[in-house]
Amino acid sequence: MRALTDEEMKTVLDKLANYMSDLKSLIAPLDDGDRYVFRLNHSRVYYVKLSIANLATSISRDALLSLGTCLGKLTKTGKFRLHITALPILAQGARHKIWIKENGAQPFLYGSNVVKAHVGRWSEDCPEHQGCVVYSMADIPLGFGVTARSTTEARRLDPTGVVCFRQADCGEYLRDEDTLFAG
Amino acid sequence: MAPTRTIKNKHSSKSSSSSSSNPKRSSKDGIKKPSSSHKPKAKIPSKEQKGKPNFGQDKKKKSRVYTEKELGIPELNMITPVGVTKPKGKKKGKIFVDDKESMSTILSLILAEKEGQIESKLLKARQMEEIREARKAEADKKEQDRKAKLDETKELMRKKRKKTTGSNNNKKDDEEEDKIVKDAVVAGTKAGKKTAKGNKKKSVSFAE
Repeated sequence: MRALTDEEMKTVLDKLANYMSDLKSLIAPLDDGDRYVFRLNHSRVYYVKLSIANLATSISRDALLSLGTCLGKLTKTGKFRLHITALPILAQGARHKIWIKENGAQPFLYGSNVVKAHVGRWSEDCPEHQGCVVYSMADIPLGFGVTARSTTEARRLDPTGVVCFRQADCGEYLRDEDTLFAG
Repeated sequence: MAPTRTIKNKHSSKSSSSSSSNPKRSSKDGIKKPSSSHKPKAKIPSKEQKGKPNFGQDKKKKSRVYTEKELGIPELNMITPVGVTKPKGKKKGKIFVDDKESMSTILSLILAEKEGQIESKLLKARQMEEIREARKAEADKKEQDRKAKLDETKELMRKKRKKTTGSNNNKKDDEEEDKIVKDAVVAGTKAGKKTAKGNKKKSVSFAE
């Protein structure tokens, strides 16, 4: 386990900035004097309290399975891929949101894109190909994706037209159970 | 009995053969290797050194192997992913970002960049929307003009038809008029008779 390098930190934060508007709260100091840091272990990036990260240094790299919240994986080409485990953090400071109706929740959780007919409401002034967090109508975050159309364009779209391309959904906790945390 | 047991192990057999003063024992066991290999222990390496030509070895040692960099050969075109390439001239090793200040500077840089990107995206989208709306308005206007023209031509056609039908009516009227005139002409004599009957002043008397 180690801290992220300059380049790695840039790629991670760049990806997070697609979905979040409030990034500064991520590294803001906590009331007890502690703060959250980013740590890398087995090419996975973890968002963890500094005190816990310091404790984890006593565990060898191979023995350490996971700590804190796994944000995603750094690929071998140097890119960063967000995992569904990062959803609670993304949902805290989401830049753009899409709420989907009950009839659209199940198809989304089974891995399909969001179509216009399933959208209950969406945040205004959302451009094309911008990261957004998908919520149910009861404000429960279900996953995240990338907008297929801008809000104005999506208004003119037919009901079967795709509004948001799925990136990750809560169904992955079951579908990718084997590979989500290790491997 | 003891040496026969230990023969299975080569090293032990060597030691036993070397230690034993009787060469017959080994011959009895039927193992020739230890006895043959043992005798010219010092001679064989010297023979090998003398027997093989030293010229080739010396030459190989002298010939220097040049690296690609030393020869200045251009590097082959290889595909390297963008993320993998590392800048030259930098020190080996990683520089970790763990302190809050450097993290916040990176964060603010990235945030500013992203904001700019999103703004430009929104601006572009708005501009595109305006262009689309303008095009739509133009198309609507054209459609309206076309419709108006069509209506006009329709009206014209209708009017023309009316005119043509009107002219037919006139003809009928004329015919009717003609009929009336004819009737009048026919009835005119009668009418004249009637008038003659009525007008006593215009009496005609034949002279006798």
